[in-house]
Amino acid sequence: MRDKILKFMQEIAEESGWQITSDMKDDTVLLESGLDSFGFAVLVVKLEEVLGYDPFTIMEDPYYPRTFGEFVAVYEKYAP
Amino acid sequence: MSEHCFFDVLNNHSRKCDCIFTSTSIYRVEDLLELSADIRSSARYNKGACVALSGLNPLQLITAIIALDGYVNGILLLPSTTDKATSDLLLHLAQCTHIVSSKSMVGEPIADFKATSDNGSTLWKLATSGTTGTPKIIEHTLASLSRTVKKGTANANVFHWGLLYDPARYAGLQVVLQALLSESRLTIPDLNEFSAKVSLLGKHGINALSATPSLWRKLLMDFNSEKLHLRQVTIGGEIADQMIINSLEKRFPHARITHIYASTEVGTGFAVTDRKAGFPSVWLDNPKAPVQMRVCKNDRLWIKPVITPQGRAILDRSDPDGYIDTEDLVRVTPDRVFFVGRVSGAINVGGNKVSPELIEETLRQVEGVVDARVYAKKSSIIGQVVAAEIVPLAEMDKILLRAQILAHCQSTLEKWQQPVVINFVKEMEVSGAGKIRRQIV
Repeated sequence: MRDKILKFMQEIAEESGWQITSDMKDDTVLLESGLDSFGFAVLVVKLEEVLGYDPFTIMEDPYYPRTFGEFVAVYEKYAP
Repeated sequence: MSEHCFFDVLNNHSRKCDCIFTSTSIYRVEDLLELSADIRSSARYNKGACVALSGLNPLQLITAIIALDGYVNGILLLPSTTDKATSDLLLHLAQCTHIVSSKSMVGEPIADFKATSDNGSTLWKLATSGTTGTPKIIEHTLASLSRTVKKGTANANVFHWGLLYDPARYAGLQVVLQALLSESRLTIPDLNEFSAKVSLLGKHGINALSATPSLWRKLLMDFNSEKLHLRQVTIGGEIADQMIINSLEKRFPHARITHIYASTEVGTGFAVTDRKAGFPSVWLDNPKAPVQMRVCKNDRLWIKPVITPQGRAILDRSDPDGYIDTEDLVRVTPDRVFFVGRVSGAINVGGNKVSPELIEETLRQVEGVVDARVYAKKSSIIGQVVAAEIVPLAEMDKILLRAQILAHCQSTLEKWQQPVVINFVKEMEVSGAGKIRRQIV
C-alpha cells in the first residue's frame, strides 16, 4: 500500500507540475511534503478512483493524518 | 448601535486594553483610535466621498474602516485576490470617488465620479462574485453587518479571536467586528506559511476561531494546532458535514461549536449550535425561528434578513414579502434541512467558488475537444473539486488530448479551478429541459 500510494503521489505531482519531496519517510509531515491541502484533496480523490474507496468518508471515528505514515495507515486500516 | 459609528463605539471602550496582536506588535484600543484619527486628518477626500480600500494589509484595513465609517458616504472593500479588470468594474459599480491603497493611505481621486452630499450612515459595499461569476456589489451598514455580534462589556476580554480570513470579505469582516465590538482581542497572523500562522495563534493564546470546513481540516492536520485550546469553534463558508463537526468536537471537547449560515447577500442568516449538520426543519415557516425561512419550488431556500442589505443585486432576488432567494438547494427531512449545493451548479472548492460555465469554455478552447461538461465531485478533504466530462473528436488520441487539456488548464486557470477528474464520453447527457446535467457526484 505504501509503495502504491507513493508511486501515485509522484505521478500526480508530475502531471500537475508540483514539486514534492523525493525522500518521503513515514514521519514526513504531509503538508510539508510539497503537497498543500488542495494537493492532498486531489490525491484522495484520485486514490479513490484507483483503489475504489475513500477512507475519510467511511471512517467512524473522524481522524485527519498529519504524517505520510499516518496517511498510509488510514488506507491500510480501511481497505475493503 | 446604528446611530454610533465604529470610531465612536471603540472610543467608549477601555482605551488601555490590548486589542490587536500581530507577529511583532500589540495595539491597544487607543493605538487604533490614534491610527484612525490620523487617516481622517490626512484624508484627501471629504465626507461625501465613496472610498475604495484596495490591497491594504489587515491592520491597515481595520484602521481604515474604523476611520471611514460614519465619516464618508461609502466604503468599498476589495478582497485581496481581486484582479485588475474586476477591481475596475467594482470601482465603477460602487461609484467610488477615491481609492486608498497601501501606497496611498491619504486616497487618490478617481475621475469618473464626484463626491455627493453627506447621506448619514456609511454604506459598506462588499463584492460578491454572485452565481454567474459576474461581480456584484451588496450594500450593508455597520448595523446590518453587526446585527448578530454580541456587543457590550459582558464578554469583554473573555474571547481572543484569530483571523484566518481576508477581512475585506464578509466572513473575515464578521470576525473583526465580533472581536472589536465585543471588546475581545484579535490576533492577525501576518505571516505567509499556514503552519506559522497556526503557531502564532497558539502563541498568543487565541480561544476563538472561525474557518471554513476545508481550513479546519487543514488545521487538524497541522501539528501546531495542538497548541490551540479553543472555547469557540465557528464553521462557515461551505457546507458543514457531520464528519467535520465530529472531528472538531473530538479535538476541542470544551468548545462551543457553531456552524453559521451567512452570505454577502443575506448577511448572517442563522447559527446552529446543536453539533448536528444542517438545521432543524421546525425553523421553516416558523415565526419563532431565529430568521424567517421558507423552501420554495425546486428546493431553493429563501431567507428574510432581519436587516435587508441594499443594492440592485438584492432587488433582483427579492420577493414582495422581503424574502431573498439564497440560490442554495436544500433537502428537507422530517427533522433536519440539509444543504446540497448551489442552483447554478457553482462548485465550492475549499471556499473558492468556481463557475462550471467558465471552465467548460476553457476546455472547449483545446483542439480536439468537441464538448465539455463540468460538475462538482465531492471531496472529503476540501468539500468539492472540479470534475469534467469531455466529448473528444473521434480520431483523437486520448492520452495526448488529456495531456493537452491539463497543460491548457494549468496555464489559464487557478489551481482550484482545474479539473481534478477528467473522463472521456461519446456524447453529452442532457436533462429534459435540454440543459447539461450538473448534479454533484
